[in-house]
Amino acid sequence: MAYEIKKAAVLGAGVMGAAIAAHLTNAGIECALLDIIPFELTDADKAKGLTEKSPEWRNRFAQTGLANALKSKPASFFSKKNASLIKTGNFDDNLNWLADVDWVIEAVVENLKIKQELFSKVEKIVRPDCIVTTNTSGIPMRDISANFGPKLKGQFLGTHFFNPPRYMKLLEVIPGEETKPEVVRFMTDFCETILGKGVVISKDVPNFVGNRIGTYDISNAVHLMLEKSLRIDELDAIISKALGRPGSGIFGTLDIVGLDTGQNVMKNLYAAVPDDEMREMFVQADFMNKMVERKWLGNKTKQGFYKKTKDARGKSVKLVIDYNTMEYLPAGRPRFASVSSALKKSDEGAAAMIKEIFNGADVAAELAREYLCNNFIYAANRVPEISETIVGIDNAMKWGYNHQLGPFETWDAVGVREAVDVMKKLKKKVPEKVQEMLKKKFETFYLQKEDGRYYYDFSKKDYVKLETDSRIIVLSDLKSQNKKVAGNGSASLVDIGDGVACLEFHTKMNAIDDGMIEMIQKSCDIVEKDFVGMVVGNHGVNFSAGANIFKVLMAAQKGDWDLLEQQVDALQTANMRMKYLSKPVVTAPAGLALGGGCEMAMHGVKCLPHGETYMGLVEVGVGLIPAGGGCKELALRMTEGLPEGVVEAGQNMQHLYMKALENIAMAKVSTSAAEAMELGYIRKTENISLSRDQHIWNAKQMVLGLQKFYRKPFPVLIPVMGENLRGLAEAMFYNMLHGNYMSEYDMHVARKVAYILSGGDCAEGTFVSEKELLDLEKESFLSLCGEKKTQDRIMYMLNTGKPLRN
Amino acid sequence: MSDAVIVESVRSAGARYKRGGLAYTRADDYAIQVLKGLLARVPQLKPEDVDDIIVGCAFPEAEQGMNLGRVLSVGAGLPVTTSGMTVNRFCSSGIQAIADATAKIRAGWSDVIIAGGVETMTHIPMGGSILRPNPDWDFDAGMPNVYVSMGITAENVAADYKISREDMDKFGLESNRRAYEAIKAGKFKEETIPVMATRYTISKNGKRIKEKFVFDTDDGVRWPSKLEDMAKLKSPFKQGGNVTAANSSQMTDGAAFSLLMTPEKAKEIGVKPIARLAYYAVAGNRPEEMGVGPSYAIPKVLKMAGLTTKDIDVFEINEAFASQCLYSIRQLGLEDRYKAGDVNPNGGAIALGHPLGCTGAKLTAQLLHEMKRRKSKRGIVSMCIGGGMGAAGIYEML
Repeated sequence: MAYEIKKAAVLGAGVMGAAIAAHLTNAGIECALLDIIPFELTDADKAKGLTEKSPEWRNRFAQTGLANALKSKPASFFSKKNASLIKTGNFDDNLNWLADVDWVIEAVVENLKIKQELFSKVEKIVRPDCIVTTNTSGIPMRDISANFGPKLKGQFLGTHFFNPPRYMKLLEVIPGEETKPEVVRFMTDFCETILGKGVVISKDVPNFVGNRIGTYDISNAVHLMLEKSLRIDELDAIISKALGRPGSGIFGTLDIVGLDTGQNVMKNLYAAVPDDEMREMFVQADFMNKMVERKWLGNKTKQGFYKKTKDARGKSVKLVIDYNTMEYLPAGRPRFASVSSALKKSDEGAAAMIKEIFNGADVAAELAREYLCNNFIYAANRVPEISETIVGIDNAMKWGYNHQLGPFETWDAVGVREAVDVMKKLKKKVPEKVQEMLKKKFETFYLQKEDGRYYYDFSKKDYVKLETDSRIIVLSDLKSQNKKVAGNGSASLVDIGDGVACLEFHTKMNAIDDGMIEMIQKSCDIVEKDFVGMVVGNHGVNFSAGANIFKVLMAAQKGDWDLLEQQVDALQTANMRMKYLSKPVVTAPAGLALGGGCEMAMHGVKCLPHGETYMGLVEVGVGLIPAGGGCKELALRMTEGLPEGVVEAGQNMQHLYMKALENIAMAKVSTSAAEAMELGYIRKTENISLSRDQHIWNAKQMVLGLQKFYRKPFPVLIPVMGENLRGLAEAMFYNMLHGNYMSEYDMHVARKVAYILSGGDCAEGTFVSEKELLDLEKESFLSLCGEKKTQDRIMYMLNTGKPLRN
Repeated sequence: MSDAVIVESVRSAGARYKRGGLAYTRADDYAIQVLKGLLARVPQLKPEDVDDIIVGCAFPEAEQGMNLGRVLSVGAGLPVTTSGMTVNRFCSSGIQAIADATAKIRAGWSDVIIAGGVETMTHIPMGGSILRPNPDWDFDAGMPNVYVSMGITAENVAADYKISREDMDKFGLESNRRAYEAIKAGKFKEETIPVMATRYTISKNGKRIKEKFVFDTDDGVRWPSKLEDMAKLKSPFKQGGNVTAANSSQMTDGAAFSLLMTPEKAKEIGVKPIARLAYYAVAGNRPEEMGVGPSYAIPKVLKMAGLTTKDIDVFEINEAFASQCLYSIRQLGLEDRYKAGDVNPNGGAIALGHPLGCTGAKLTAQLLHEMKRRKSKRGIVSMCIGGGMGAAGIYEML
């Protein structure tokens, strides 16, 4: 049976339920969101004239859940408009909607009886091919499905999202004993491809993979801290970026999660794993119990392990709890030699940093060694109990806990044998299967061979090739397989098969430099000759954070206008070259696409953004204007939908151009690809890819689709408003200046933007060429480079990373 | 010289912006109903005796365009011989129309004129649909900025003349309280012409349908309100500013008209005149603080009449913003009169709304009916005007 999910229903509109529903709409899936009916009418309800029959009252919980999801930070929805795909209802009146859906996800309260009762109703309504899942974070599938008929058992499994579902990559899929294999296969593929998640298949065990290992990881850290009498802020300085962990550290993260939530997870886990050799670790430390009693639960109660206050001078001060006295003291910035020297290796990646600490000599290194060894042993002992392979555990920790490396990758980083030696010194019980592995001279858990990546399988006692998915293009693998066609230090052109090439940027933050621009031109030459088309994309966190402003500043301070002009010319020409290449160029932005990066993304013939694309023309922040064709492309995008003749007939373009002006003058950055479309940076007719892993492959498919009948775009003429736009802009700027929304210099820069967008000195309704607008961009850019306040802004940005409002 | 008298003065209820009772009704449609309602109250008057219709409108475009005065004369079913014109002096357009009608009748050029104002703020944006400020004018160099946003002018008045946030919020609260009491007491019933309004809904089978309903009560009044809630609002105009939605007038839709004629005509058809617009003056001031207009216009018109504020029984000073209205009240020494209920006795535009071009005619209807109830002798309608002006008219009851 071929499965397909177009409509879904989420049962339970709590934080997770509503956020899952929101993410489904991000993927374009219609969704019903149901919850129970409120217990009774309040006086306020009665005063409003509501009765027990009013849908407003009956659907209140689902409505409130949706409203909260709309308000959530970070945002659950790509665009608030997506909420229109959600239909709210209640279990009593609307369960019949389930007859019409392809997927039911249960996310009600963690109570077995309640879940069972709800599913017994669901079972009678859903279609036989409907997939039914639970988002429980701990209750076993076999208990929930105990009373199911055989049909539903075949369709039932766990789909455990991590919070917040839009942003966390991990999704644990937990098949039940009788779940049909094709259902598991389909859901894995669906969650990866359509929802953009990373799936880890978990056994039906308490807390599944991520939270089992994660809970141990935290308990392990807390116990070691107490043992070694370190402070909380000290632990957070050690188990942090230098160990490839989130900068918030163990306790900073717990403050975000909430101590009560953490306590519940620990308690439940303790009860559920009587045979776990580390069970006693899941007894929560006394001081943390005290904190829960005092309702010091973290950010939600404004105090947890940390607390922010203000001193007498109004400066904010970070306090940290002293677990001996239960008093808050000023948090320090603890420094450890091993951590500092590890951080110096940050450019070499997490593995190098972790190794540095692991081999350090101070107390931080001592703690880190024992902490990591404990983690290694615990993780190894959990295979195959919770996951068939080590890969599942590594992925779960990377995708669900934001660890740079999973436990086995970390183990490889410090050396498997070296770590075992440390374990022996620390008198730890080294897992036999690891000793056996080393005895047989398997020295690492992962191994890169010519035909791909291998992992060590404990049950097969040998390396097993990692299954590759043809839809996951890994540029580094291709490059090691001699697929690099050309390249320099800033960018590479990689053959990604089927005649398509991918232009990959690889500078720091993918900032634009001369090498990158040179590679655009070179790639265009090569692709025009030898390929059917090109994807511009990369695996970096950010597509491109914009131009290298340091170089701009150097040239501006030297007054080297020729060099600046050359640089602007080079970027404009490279962008125009991509746009008008005889072969299709598809840009694939993800993460930040700012300033020049945004301009590059705008100059493909098509753009396939990843859902999490944060795009904007932010140049005014450093006192500049977009001069790589950004103003030009935005003017074009705002007006290209106008049919022939309407400009001549008097079409008022005021709102179109004021929107463009606002975007640039206020440096508006989208919070998603969908919002980039609403702002006008990306055409609304484009698609969005939710899978970062398959992003480049998706873009490649677009190239392949286009190349069969490709005709490069005709040069366009853009209708502008001439000086009338400047009159409008002046009126707006005056109000913004006097309303303190703009500084004098902001206005000065914004005027340049208005001048460019107006098309220069011409009448309203004039059609200008792209070249004319590019020339206006260049002229304004160069004149601003010569201004002291622009140079001050650039300098400030380089020094502080923040914009200067001078 | 002949005289000009008002024999009837009416208005529609004020409908709040976008969510009010007239949000989906065309301005011409409800204006025509108010016109017909006015004429129905004077059945003795033959339609062909109406010589002209003068309509004030601040943004006479779109459904208010094509010379709204003429559109309405034809739309109301008056004979083609009845003419029509549109006048625009922004926020005083409504009383300007009545002043123009008065002058024309006094000059002996007309016997009977309907004058008033219409504005749909829901359908036509502030500044009009096609705004084109002159790009070459340099306001930084000191040229008065006729395009300045009204909110900024209100912030300027508050800052320059030290009108405190608390005073503005209290003023806004009091406006709502007075309006609420007035509606509850049915005070506006007599002056209000109910209109058949339109709204669009979705029927049970999912089709969009047009519905009709009666709209007859001002729907913008926010009562009960709390000062502490008002204090939480932020200024949309200025970062750290004090002019907020709760101490500014509401953008509102509405229409109002008065019937003017010579006393002789009134006698001939047997209707009793109620009042006359005895004096009217307009005064210019700096656009950047346009709200202080009444503090210049009221003294100007009083001087013209040889009167002082003591001779005036009731004032309707438009509440474009609490800052400018309070400033004007203080400048004119009217604070006690305000407290006593002689100024804006039934609340003002902060509660009842400010339909720009209609406001002067709307306040005229409110003032004349209030004076009738109080049996007063003289009253003033005054307002500030965008671009930097003030207008004031003295009405005498007959």
